[in-house]
Amino acid sequence: MFQQVKNIGLLIAVFLSAGVSAHSIDGADANFIQDIDGPAIAAFVYLGAKHMVTGYDHLLYLAGVVFFLYRPAQVFQYVTLFALGHSITLLTGVLAGLQVNAFLIDALIGLSIVYKGFENIGGFDRLPARPNPKIAVFLFGLIHGLGLATKLQVFDLSPNGLVVNILSFNVGVELGQICALSLILIALSLWRTHPSYLRHTLLSNTALMCGGFLLCVYQLAGYFSLS
Amino acid sequence: MATQPDSPTQSASIKTVAIATGVAAIIAGIIAVVVVLPAEYGIDPLGTGAALGITGLADANDSALENSDEAYRRQSIEFVLEPFQSIEYKYHLKQGERMSYAWKATGEIEYDMHAEPHDMESEADVPTYDKGTTASAQGNYQAEFTGIHGWFWENQTFEEVILTIEAAGFFTATTLFRDGGAFEQEVPPRLE
Repeated sequence: MFQQVKNIGLLIAVFLSAGVSAHSIDGADANFIQDIDGPAIAAFVYLGAKHMVTGYDHLLYLAGVVFFLYRPAQVFQYVTLFALGHSITLLTGVLAGLQVNAFLIDALIGLSIVYKGFENIGGFDRLPARPNPKIAVFLFGLIHGLGLATKLQVFDLSPNGLVVNILSFNVGVELGQICALSLILIALSLWRTHPSYLRHTLLSNTALMCGGFLLCVYQLAGYFSLS
Repeated sequence: MATQPDSPTQSASIKTVAIATGVAAIIAGIIAVVVVLPAEYGIDPLGTGAALGITGLADANDSALENSDEAYRRQSIEFVLEPFQSIEYKYHLKQGERMSYAWKATGEIEYDMHAEPHDMESEADVPTYDKGTTASAQGNYQAEFTGIHGWFWENQTFEEVILTIEAAGFFTATTLFRDGGAFEQEVPPRLE
């Protein structure tokens, strides 16, 4: 029992240590982005991938999505729907100059994690109409993409090469997602060989919801204290 | 466990779901109030942030207001640069301290703005922040490390150039490098 608790603790620690600060693009990367004038494919692919790999909000959500997906085909379906959703809002969001408050959109992303944890423990099973999880993953993909678009638009992006750069950033996001997802799936499949996996479904998804609530409160507090 | 082949979930009872969700929300709320809000935003309703010494951790560098323990100093100084003469003028700043500056020359001169830590071991420790050729520059500067921070100027014309430098902020002294010598000078505090 102690060993299993330790495993869960370790998993949570890994997720939390993935990101150090509030999940925006900052520091040297921020200066770098603003200095770019013209197409810079490699730079934006890298930044997109880095943003995804170090983004604990996206990672927690993905971990929730694949928690009960055992077959590669299922993983592919759900992740494609998520990727489709966030690509749509990332591309149209930046190109149309759609601005949403970053704190509010991040609070919604936190709630998407709560939603997935709730769905995983069967929270919707007793309801008369159970929301379709595929539609949900697509809709939450749209929200996550809007978050990405908002982060990018904080910067004074040069209109020179903007379309190429945004497409590159999006490609990077997908590559980063594949990397992160591979690690999550490896960790989960190792854990799945233990009987503890199913026994602790409730505990791990409660921890997931807790993480989602925490992100939500953190962002809402930011909205009310800093906006 | 798999209730639907398409989207398997673990079906818990309504009571269990409610308890799990409630526990998740309460734990998240506690962590937020005890640790996250004090550290990230300085919101510390229970005083736990102050007790743990983490209040204002994240925005220590982003706050609009930043108090300094150093005395405020201001200095205006003028140099005459003969043709092809160069000088270096540096301000002693501790890590994190700031100054505002403006300099103006009567003609275009070459400049290189850089900083050196006190415990410098190699040239690799000397970051150059800006260089070029111009007749004036102004801005704000925050020291990345404790050391001397300032400019190298060279008059590459056949005309004499008069260079005026003004700086205000939290430096303690200046060092002038000229004609192979280094001349350190304390700058008196303004309001002490």
